[in-house]
Amino acid sequence: MTYLIPLIPLLPLAGFVVTGLLGRQMGRESHQIAVWAVAASWAVAMVVAFAALAHGFGIGDGAGITLWNWIPALGFKAEMGFYVDALTGCLLIVVTTIGMLVHIYSIGYMAHDPGKWRFFAYLNLFMFSMLLLVLADNFLLVFAGWELVGLCSYLLIGFWYPRRSAAVAAKKAFLVNRIGDMGFALAIMAIWTQLGTLNMQAVFKLVEGGGLSSTWIAVVALLLFCGAVGKSAQFPLHVWLPDAMEGPTPVSALIHAATMVNAGVYLVARCNPIFGAAPGVMVVVAAIGIFTAVLAASIAFTQTDIKRVLAYSTISQLGYMFAALGVGAWTAAIFHLMSHGFFKGLLFLGSGSVIHAVGDEQDMRKMGGLARKIPITYVTMLIGSVAIAGVPPLAGFFSKDEILGGAFKSGFLWVWAIGFVVAGMTAFYMFRLMGMTFWGPSHVDPEVEQHIHESPTTMTRPLILLAIPAAALGLLIGFPPESGLLHQWLAPVFEATIAAGGRTEAAYSFFGIDGGLAIVTTGLVAIAIIAAWRLFGVDMPAIGLHAEPRPDQVREVSARRGLDFLYRGSAAKWWFDDLNNLLFVVWGGRLAGAVWWFDRVVIDGTVNGVGTVTTQAGLRLRRVQTGHVQNYALGIAIGLIAMALGYFLIAVR
Amino acid sequence: MPIGDSIPLIGIRWDDVLFVALAATLLVSALLVVTLRDIIRCGLALIASFASLAGIYVLLGNPLVAATQVLVYIGAISVLVLFAIMLTQTKNAPARLVFQTQTLAAAVAAVVIAVVITATVLATTWPSAGQRLWTSTTDVAHLLFHDYVLPFEVVSVLLTAAVIGGVYLARREISKDGENR
Amino acid sequence: MSGSLDSYLVLSGLLFAIGTFGFLARRNAISMLMSIELMLNAVNLTVVAFGAFVPALKTHAAVIALLVIAVAAAEATVGLALVMAIYRNRKTPLVDEYDSMSE
Repeated sequence: MTYLIPLIPLLPLAGFVVTGLLGRQMGRESHQIAVWAVAASWAVAMVVAFAALAHGFGIGDGAGITLWNWIPALGFKAEMGFYVDALTGCLLIVVTTIGMLVHIYSIGYMAHDPGKWRFFAYLNLFMFSMLLLVLADNFLLVFAGWELVGLCSYLLIGFWYPRRSAAVAAKKAFLVNRIGDMGFALAIMAIWTQLGTLNMQAVFKLVEGGGLSSTWIAVVALLLFCGAVGKSAQFPLHVWLPDAMEGPTPVSALIHAATMVNAGVYLVARCNPIFGAAPGVMVVVAAIGIFTAVLAASIAFTQTDIKRVLAYSTISQLGYMFAALGVGAWTAAIFHLMSHGFFKGLLFLGSGSVIHAVGDEQDMRKMGGLARKIPITYVTMLIGSVAIAGVPPLAGFFSKDEILGGAFKSGFLWVWAIGFVVAGMTAFYMFRLMGMTFWGPSHVDPEVEQHIHESPTTMTRPLILLAIPAAALGLLIGFPPESGLLHQWLAPVFEATIAAGGRTEAAYSFFGIDGGLAIVTTGLVAIAIIAAWRLFGVDMPAIGLHAEPRPDQVREVSARRGLDFLYRGSAAKWWFDDLNNLLFVVWGGRLAGAVWWFDRVVIDGTVNGVGTVTTQAGLRLRRVQTGHVQNYALGIAIGLIAMALGYFLIAVR
Repeated sequence: MPIGDSIPLIGIRWDDVLFVALAATLLVSALLVVTLRDIIRCGLALIASFASLAGIYVLLGNPLVAATQVLVYIGAISVLVLFAIMLTQTKNAPARLVFQTQTLAAAVAAVVIAVVITATVLATTWPSAGQRLWTSTTDVAHLLFHDYVLPFEVVSVLLTAAVIGGVYLARREISKDGENR
Repeated sequence: MSGSLDSYLVLSGLLFAIGTFGFLARRNAISMLMSIELMLNAVNLTVVAFGAFVPALKTHAAVIALLVIAVAAAEATVGLALVMAIYRNRKTPLVDEYDSMSE
């Protein structure tokens, strides 16, 4: 069985090599090999993942396979090895399923793009990198995958590189990610110097056995979290993700919503023995996570670009996951990761379909009333919105409820309180999006309106296929709460850490605290949805709902004293880009200018000065070399005199 | 009637008289060599200085070296120099400047060298016997062809090489059609 | 006076200084060669003078003097030949017009 594991990343790699080398020659069919490679990889991954989830490799144990000794150096060893356990299995399902559907979707979405072969080559490279990251059994190999997905993200955000904004966004994503990656790299170095191995399982065993002082555990955990913050776009490194929407929409769906941004969550969950042993860092993780959640949700309120709303929503939901990790609700975090992967992938692909329909327009103020014109997109996106809003019994309800319940029961009441508010905010901005896009009167350019059409089947089928897990995943693996399939799968991964934490949680009680929390949350969500309907309209004749949008009221509310400041702050994304611009671009530029001046004037001046002095001295001393023998002979005579005088003065006297 | 060691009445030794005369001749003719405008006259003054130096060698009790000086310097080198002068003489040459632009510096250097050497000589106590020793030609012959036989042979090779080199360097280059260049 | 080593050595020094001056100051290549001969003679005078006054050097000095004369002859031959060769190329015996070593 284990021999199948290397195939999972190798198939997309082969697809990348073939498509990258021959794609240009394949013309219109350049997607074939890439898509089939990912499909094959998906099939293998399903087999491996379910074997892992069903504890086919033995309960609590993963399956490892070492291919070769990657870096054999004196005293240092990094192996090319893979490791699959239940956690990896969950990630494999998310990554390969969504990856495959996005590949299929892209066939239609990128059909007319001249760089299609390049796009598919990059997508395949991304699949390889992400699978490498997920499957790797040592930190260095994770880091390699980590950096490779960063590279793919850069390449794909800047896919339409002639567009200046795309090129700038790609650079921004790359640079901001580097900050986090620096932390990850330092963590790896710290682990190596302290423990002498990079193999994850060995490291965890050593940490659990007390092989690392608590200070070092905290340092390593913080540094790892630093890497996770960069990749998963948490505050304060969240600024790159909204700009990353400059890439093609399938890229936004695959990389910047469903998979790559989950890498940070995965890393923290994978390193749960380290984080579990550093309670202080866990609080930091929870705080950063929940703060990011509320921050991003507040920005999503006022954005008008459909993809940006979804991008901030992604940041917010990732914040949720980190909050869950921070409070020790490991399984809930992975649960939310999976459900979010599906419904956010669905929402992004749906938004791509919308954008496609209205002629590459992303501004929601120029949409509206699209529900009847693109019904499949509408229905699937509605399912996604309901799911993310947390309406029972869809996926988002279960996963979000577990996170909030976990926070409440583990004593992090403040995390619960903020998370509770964010749940309402999420529902509100999602139905604001739905209202502006699909309901109410049309604001589409009349000329474009005539050409609105449903997307081709290669694009709608993936939407339908994603809508199914978005709707049913919660019931499927998360029900009954806290003892569903997922909990049975993941229990062996986290049980040691949870046991070491010493915190015993009350069992799930529907007629107790858990049920109460779920009802309160659902109530808030319902209020938020109705508020959104009242302000931005709704039109669902099937269940007899209808409300016209009230833009005047929106204006009135947002201008209300106390709220106007929040409104302006939200619209300006809380000035983070301006702050970064001031700090790093303006002041950094001035500092760089000063350094440049110093380099130019002082350092170059010294170097050039030495050169000038030499040249000038040479030019002047050149006259000494007359080429006349007798001048030289006079020199000899003077030397002779000096020597004779010296002798006379020293020896004779 | 034999001549005494010193001049009667004044009491100055003949040797000293001879030395002063020869030394004066030597220095004056040497000065002429380096100062005369006409280079032919320089050559003739050179012969005079060689000759007076030969006299000084005799005074030093070394007739063999004196004879060699006359033979080699006056007989060979001087003639060689005179021939070279005649071969390189151009009609306007004497009209041109005889001295370099650095003549003043050269004079100063020469004076300083003279002063330094004189001062050094006078300040040094030499392991001198206090009187002149007569050098026997027989002894020289013995030494030269016994102890110094290797340098002697090397010098002979050097001289041969010099002859060949001199001929080669001074030879007129003959172009292919046999005409002199 | 003639019985003192110092007077011969001083004479030799003066002769050497004159030769130096000639070598440094004269423009004509043959004059320079003649100056060199003067300096060589000055050295030879020193050697013979030491031989005449220092018992340990007695006969040896004569041998050295003879060898020096022979080498000087070789030097004069080659030197004059060089002058002839240069003269034929540059059409002048004046050393300060030989400027191919400058720049």
